[in-house]
Amino acid sequence: MSRSFVGSRPLVLLITLVVVLQGVVGPAVAAEKKYRRTTETYSLPDVVLVNQDGKKVRLKSLETSNTPVVVDFIFGTCTTICPVLSVGYATLQQKLGADAQKVHLVSISIDPENDTPKVMKEYLKRYRAKPGWDFLTGSRGDIDKAMRAFNAYIPNKMSHYPLTLLKSPDEKGWTRIYGLMSSSEFIEETRKAGIK
Amino acid sequence: MRSPNGGSRRGVATWSCFLAGLVVMLLSSPCLADTVSRTPEQMLRAGERMYRQGVLENGEPLRAYVKGDIPVPGTAFTCVSCHLRAGIGSVEGGVYTPPTNGRSLYQPVKKIYKGVPVKYNESPFRRPAYTDATLVEVLRSGVDPEGKVLSDVMPRYLLEDEDAELLVTYLKKLSSEFSPGVSDTEIRFATVYSEDVPAADRDAMIAGLEKYISDKNDMAKSYRRTTTARDRLMARAMSTSKELESRRLTLSRWVLKGSPDTWRAQLEEYNGKEPVFALLGGLVSGEWGPVHRFSEENRIPCLFPNTDLPVVSDTDWYTLYLSKGFYQEGEAVARFLNRRDETGAGVPVLQIVRLSREGRALADGFERTWSSLGHEPPVTVTLQEGETLTGARLAALLEREKPRVVLFWDGGALIPQLRELGSLRQQPQSVFVSGRYAGEALYALPEELRANTYIAYPYRLPGEKVIEPMMKSEVRFRVDDNRIAQQTYSLVQVLTMAVMEIKDNYFRDHFLDAIGMSMDRVVPLYERLSFGPGQRYASKGCYIVQLKKGDGRELTKMSDWVIH
Repeated sequence: MSRSFVGSRPLVLLITLVVVLQGVVGPAVAAEKKYRRTTETYSLPDVVLVNQDGKKVRLKSLETSNTPVVVDFIFGTCTTICPVLSVGYATLQQKLGADAQKVHLVSISIDPENDTPKVMKEYLKRYRAKPGWDFLTGSRGDIDKAMRAFNAYIPNKMSHYPLTLLKSPDEKGWTRIYGLMSSSEFIEETRKAGIK
Repeated sequence: MRSPNGGSRRGVATWSCFLAGLVVMLLSSPCLADTVSRTPEQMLRAGERMYRQGVLENGEPLRAYVKGDIPVPGTAFTCVSCHLRAGIGSVEGGVYTPPTNGRSLYQPVKKIYKGVPVKYNESPFRRPAYTDATLVEVLRSGVDPEGKVLSDVMPRYLLEDEDAELLVTYLKKLSSEFSPGVSDTEIRFATVYSEDVPAADRDAMIAGLEKYISDKNDMAKSYRRTTTARDRLMARAMSTSKELESRRLTLSRWVLKGSPDTWRAQLEEYNGKEPVFALLGGLVSGEWGPVHRFSEENRIPCLFPNTDLPVVSDTDWYTLYLSKGFYQEGEAVARFLNRRDETGAGVPVLQIVRLSREGRALADGFERTWSSLGHEPPVTVTLQEGETLTGARLAALLEREKPRVVLFWDGGALIPQLRELGSLRQQPQSVFVSGRYAGEALYALPEELRANTYIAYPYRLPGEKVIEPMMKSEVRFRVDDNRIAQQTYSLVQVLTMAVMEIKDNYFRDHFLDAIGMSMDRVVPLYERLSFGPGQRYASKGCYIVQLKKGDGRELTKMSDWVIH
């Protein structure tokens, strides 16, 4: 019964080998490189996701929001890049202090099986998140639609990459940032998106 | 493939140094040694807490900076979150995290992947062996002994000498010797089953596991037959890790006899005589708890035991289950109801529970989830073994409690009782049952009851096409139509990857780390198996379905696979 799997192993292993070799060299290069910034237009699907309090959040509402919006894709048990992205959010909220709710920070789960409201709430607590930061989960189909809409689709969470999307209420387009930013770089980008 | 930029490679190396550095400082600073006296065990535990929880001995979080200027508490950036429990590191999100176990840190290394020097690159990265002092330095500053700077994703920790010593002490000990069950010639596994399980299920499990073991050992044989360098490289990459060339896999059968309270002693005896690296599968009558506790306390991984009655825990580490079993069905019903009845006002729920392991697990899953969602506990009526609810008693219960929802956690005896319920004047809005517990009897559900009976169904629906998400093609599994055979099939998929991944790092924690970092799986029985560090129940879903009108067996989905 394991034969079918064994039969497909050479291809799997070849792919693994390539990924591994890239992995060994790639990150070092990435670490030296600046993040990449572009302006994009997205059309969000009309899906309803659920936040850490179990409340429904309509994804499309992010497009029409009167406050600046920042979106990233993370998961609760991620080991490496999600903590860095989340610390960026936490630092911004700290800097804004009482004005933290003047920006809507949104983290969309890419592991909706495991990221229940309970798991997400505990995650946010670890980063001392204040109101204004929503961690969203939903059905696999809706999460896939959300990822596709932001041109961020990955079939599997383990192959994710750091992405931050920012939108000012005055602009139609989104600023898309690929890569990890320092705290000052992130705050500068949010300033450009209308977050003072 | 080579990086044109040596600096980036340095970044890679710096990671490993980081954690190890802490330990070194104390050893080299005489004034620290006598500030507090601790036993070596206390030092290790304190270092372990820093590594795993990011908390210092005094209970404060470690302090650190990432990306140059972002201050972070150590609790948000623990060592374990990137370097993982065994300290062998990972590749995730395009970031390579090198090993931080003493065995790696205190040796000079070439370019490494998961602890194995990469020899096919013409200019492999090198770093010298760390000393205690250079290790602490790299943890603090991110600069390695050769002046190379680590990636700025690696936190720079603000460490007092004394704390640094604790962490370094721990890192030196971390994954320093291969786990029991591994010798120069063998990696030993065992499967646990009780002598009273159905022979067909037991044989389905054993056949699947033994086929895996013999396939692997045959591959190693063919590896030994290769002659050219190119063939060897291909064989190494394609069939099995090169170390397995010299190590055979073995599978023992640990058969449990008598009552479950004697199992622990039997397991200890098996393990004392012939320790194993990990337990594979398993099948016992009743709860898995006794074997779970044996695994947990002896730190022996157990992969996918065939049980619907697992231990449900957020923190236990060593047993990886296919799902939470019956508990998960109760959980799914609570989530479904919570999502459906959103008024927030208390929804009166009556729960009728057969006093059995299955009934209790279903009720437990429902109650704990329902209460975590902020609802009042259900009214519970327990049925003893053999007891049935008469129409009169049911009528009285409905009259008294006026429930909108009735949960009926019972097996095959369910159907006549549902008929009684259906004939009463006062009716609940809906009735929930467990498809797995009701079993075949479920399909005898009369047509008039089908519209308001909801069924927890923890598997793919029968006959559904399975589409592989990456290739978008239909998958046809070549496996018998037997649940144990299908579960063993999933086990073999995961095990094949894990054995290949662990390479020359035969540490039990690394085996579990490797599985935790693996890709989601498309398997016959469940909609999806997914993994993650510390995640211990691979299938997280359960449909709520209804039987279609008529007297057929066709099911209609009323929910997604995972309900939030």
